[in-house]
Amino acid sequence: MTLRETLQRWRYNFIPDHLLGEILTKRWADNAIPFLAMVATVAGFGLAIPGFFKPSSLVESTRQLGEFTIVVIGLSVVMLAGGIDLSVGSIFALAAFAAVSTFFIFGLPVWVALLSALAVGALFGAFNGYLVGYLRLRAFLTTLVTLVIGRALYDILVINFAAAVQQSDVSSPIWDFIGDGQFMGLSMAVIIALVLAVIAHVALTRSRPGWHILAVGGSRRSAHNSGIRVRETVFMSYVVSGLCAGLAGFLIACRLSGAGPGTGLNLEMLAITAAVVGGNSLGGGRGSIAKAVMGAIIVMMMNNSLIRLGFGTGTNQMVLGLMLAAAVTLDIRWLKNRHKVLNEVYVAPVHVRLPETPSALPGSGSSFALNNVLSKADAIGLGELEGPEDVILDRDDHLYCGTRHGEIVRFFAPDYRRSEVFAHTGGFPLGLAFAQDGTLLSCVGAMGLYAISPRGEVRQLSAETNRSYRSIVDDARLRDPNDLDVAPDGRIFFTDSTTRYDAHDWTLDSIENRPTGRLLVHDPKTGITRTLLDNYRYTNGVCLAHDGKSVLFAESWACRVHRYWLEGPKAGTAECLIDGMPGYPDNINRASDGTYWMAWLGMRTPSFDLSLRHPSFRKHMTRRLPNDEWLFPNINTGGVVKFDEQGTIIQTMGDLTGVSHPMVTSMREHKGHLFIGGILNNRIGRFKIEGADPNWTGMSSYWGSRS
Amino acid sequence: MNILDFFRGKAVTIPPMDGALKPNRSLDEAALVVAHAEPDNLVADGHSLFFTAGAQLLELAHGARQARVVETFPAAITALAKSEDDAWAVALQSGAVLVREKREAWREIASFKCPVALAFGAGQFLYLGNGSEAHPPSAWAHDLMAKGSSGSVWRLALHAGERERLADGLAFPFGIAVDHAGGRLLVSESWRHRVLAIPSAGGAPQPVLAKLPGYPGRISDRRGQGFLLCLFAPRNRLIELVLQEDAYRMDMMAEIPRDYWVAPALASGKTFLEPLQCGGVRTMGIHKPWSPSRSYGLVVELGADAEPIASHHSRADGKRHGIVSAVEWLGHITAAARGGDCIVRIAAHGGGEA
Repeated sequence: MTLRETLQRWRYNFIPDHLLGEILTKRWADNAIPFLAMVATVAGFGLAIPGFFKPSSLVESTRQLGEFTIVVIGLSVVMLAGGIDLSVGSIFALAAFAAVSTFFIFGLPVWVALLSALAVGALFGAFNGYLVGYLRLRAFLTTLVTLVIGRALYDILVINFAAAVQQSDVSSPIWDFIGDGQFMGLSMAVIIALVLAVIAHVALTRSRPGWHILAVGGSRRSAHNSGIRVRETVFMSYVVSGLCAGLAGFLIACRLSGAGPGTGLNLEMLAITAAVVGGNSLGGGRGSIAKAVMGAIIVMMMNNSLIRLGFGTGTNQMVLGLMLAAAVTLDIRWLKNRHKVLNEVYVAPVHVRLPETPSALPGSGSSFALNNVLSKADAIGLGELEGPEDVILDRDDHLYCGTRHGEIVRFFAPDYRRSEVFAHTGGFPLGLAFAQDGTLLSCVGAMGLYAISPRGEVRQLSAETNRSYRSIVDDARLRDPNDLDVAPDGRIFFTDSTTRYDAHDWTLDSIENRPTGRLLVHDPKTGITRTLLDNYRYTNGVCLAHDGKSVLFAESWACRVHRYWLEGPKAGTAECLIDGMPGYPDNINRASDGTYWMAWLGMRTPSFDLSLRHPSFRKHMTRRLPNDEWLFPNINTGGVVKFDEQGTIIQTMGDLTGVSHPMVTSMREHKGHLFIGGILNNRIGRFKIEGADPNWTGMSSYWGSRS
Repeated sequence: MNILDFFRGKAVTIPPMDGALKPNRSLDEAALVVAHAEPDNLVADGHSLFFTAGAQLLELAHGARQARVVETFPAAITALAKSEDDAWAVALQSGAVLVREKREAWREIASFKCPVALAFGAGQFLYLGNGSEAHPPSAWAHDLMAKGSSGSVWRLALHAGERERLADGLAFPFGIAVDHAGGRLLVSESWRHRVLAIPSAGGAPQPVLAKLPGYPGRISDRRGQGFLLCLFAPRNRLIELVLQEDAYRMDMMAEIPRDYWVAPALASGKTFLEPLQCGGVRTMGIHKPWSPSRSYGLVVELGADAEPIASHHSRADGKRHGIVSAVEWLGHITAAARGGDCIVRIAAHGGGEA
């Protein structure tokens, strides 16, 4: 290996590029930028301001943050529902005044003051919500009106009653505790904000009203069409916002024990900036409470720190304005380009050097040499079938196969001219096997392991296995279940080819060549699925050995066949049986003479083998060329290979014309004939095998003759 | 500059086949003139069609079903020209350029590394395109993948032994036609996907047709009716990417037999060892005609001003690929498909109008 290749190997095999794509598929990935901004803000200003991180200093500075966060949470709910609330500052101020006057002027208890603040908030929120939700006025103008009227009202009230508040001698330890006290080092405002954030988060992500809010914000019309009461949902979002502003107003009333002309002034500007900087979309539908909290921290930190560092109001406003502009731009650009970035970065190739292989060219003299005999196979279902990945025959000689339309089709013996839809699975049925009682088992692409009763009833057996700790994508889910076989005790051994791509994108996994294929076992008695082996390059065909003591399985992109021991001294371990083949193995099935048939879905080409040693080339290819132009293994030529228990190749057959059977993904021997399937083919081939046992069937081989 | 280019590098694109180059099936539907392995270098007179295959020069008389061997040379013939007054010139894989006048014997007048294009000029001149200083004619794909640009165009005197270089630094001048009316040569510069005009008397080359969607090869004169330009292989975005990827390309040239390179070819799909691109995967029995391919069949009719007027295609799913030569013979466009092992006749004004 040259130095360059060695360096490439290190670069691409040890730096986990694929994690970037996997993280981007996660919804929480949107939080990365606001989170980094928050960390940078806190660290930057924290270091710039001496004594910032002292507990006493923190308690005071976070008191205001708590109030602010509550307002931002309410505003975010409105924004998630697709609206905007400019009146939060006025509501906040009016609620503060309500609390102060209830407590100081009327001398009522603290809880009444709280209720009055909340009532003011709810009232104004309902006013907004009624106009925007039911009368369908513009949110911006409506809440602007509320802002102006509310502020005017507040100014009138403050001028007339501020003196009365100041002269009052009412006091209460509860009031003071809420305003100044702390519990476990946290101020009440922060505790309330945290509790509210958790409640709001759970409500938005786990409750029906929360989902309705997100749905309405995402698309009003779709939400309406799916039966969501859009007007009511919008109304409620403004009420929530009003209540939050009211609660925050009560807290500031406790803290300041008064209300002045500056209370809540420009608060709406700060709150909107916080919500957007946190990453909540102005268009609605996209965002979270976590984002709201992060935005609140960033903005509050920025605002207060600039003041403490001695910058004037102008500078402060300018910084906030610029932050808002940057956040809005990023929001729109990101929204527009996120899926593109994901497409661009998802494929993360690794360096692989396949072993040298004997030639498969006809006349090359190797045991792998392909010929043209499969082109003579009779066609079954030509022009009707699309995508019979696997084929199987039952005790009555009827022929079953999956199709890419999600059906399992049954062709009737003896001539296989008549057919019916036996069952509809909804996914792409790939591997097939019969259980002892005649239940048809199938690996359904992108769905899981399914059982189909002799009457055609479809039942899911398993869609998940145990979660591994190292994977970012949810690898408990069966993403590409491919082939299966049944042990005498009923356990089902099957493969899940990749955790990186869905079933229909299976060829892309060859470009990447990352080992994520698994061998799994499902026990119908317990209903539990377990992962037996992991980290193979596209596990594919599975076949129980004739003696039932081991399972053979194919590792497609590595061109290998392995044996997994069920019994004996090596039980629970795998060993390689065939290595360095010139073709990519697919399904494996039993042959009548005690050997095995293996399908080749495609052939290695020198150019693709070389590209496996050049991960940077493949990476550039996936980013600079459209999918259709990518270099693939040659999956236009496949074949059928026969091998014995020791892995010795006995026979190789192909269709070099490429007309009948270009790609072969399965074959099944039955009464002296070989039935051939192909996932991209439009037929099943039927081919008479010279010298095969004319009475042998798969059912009798697995389950004995009919009793 | 797209914002995504920062993450992925610039997307590789090629010019579309549009306008006069809109795809059709004209070549696949064209009548078969004769089936012959790897025909090349068509030359027509009023009666017969001459072509070469390997080291043989053959003649197909009008109405005949079989071609007759006229002459066999010591090496494969790489270019052929015939003048109005029955002078002949051939170039060979060995580099030799031979001339025969008035049925005298063949005599060698010059030798080049890679003679691939010949055309008789007015007077006693022969124009020659020397594809490369590094590779012989059969290794054209190697010259392309090595990004060769050592080609040159020469004017040879038939007798005096003089030779004059009209242009050099060209990326494989694969075809030459004399534009008598314009007093210039049309030269196809294959690896730069363009056709150049070079004044007959000498002077700087000017591109007259650029950004072609394929590699231009031979050009033939239709006697005042314009020209026929053969694009012997299509441009392919994967190949253009490989041309940018130096490490992969160098390893490929060093380790892989040339037939299996990710490189243009005159025919493809002959063995499973050839590269395959995603779009070329046979699905439900269908090979998509618009899928990316290493080979293609394309003849372009150029007007007298060298602008494309019409074109004749054999698409990715067709067989008549690798059109290396096309002439007008008895009023029909007659094309040699070296990749399709046949010579075909396109119905006049058939199918290819834009």
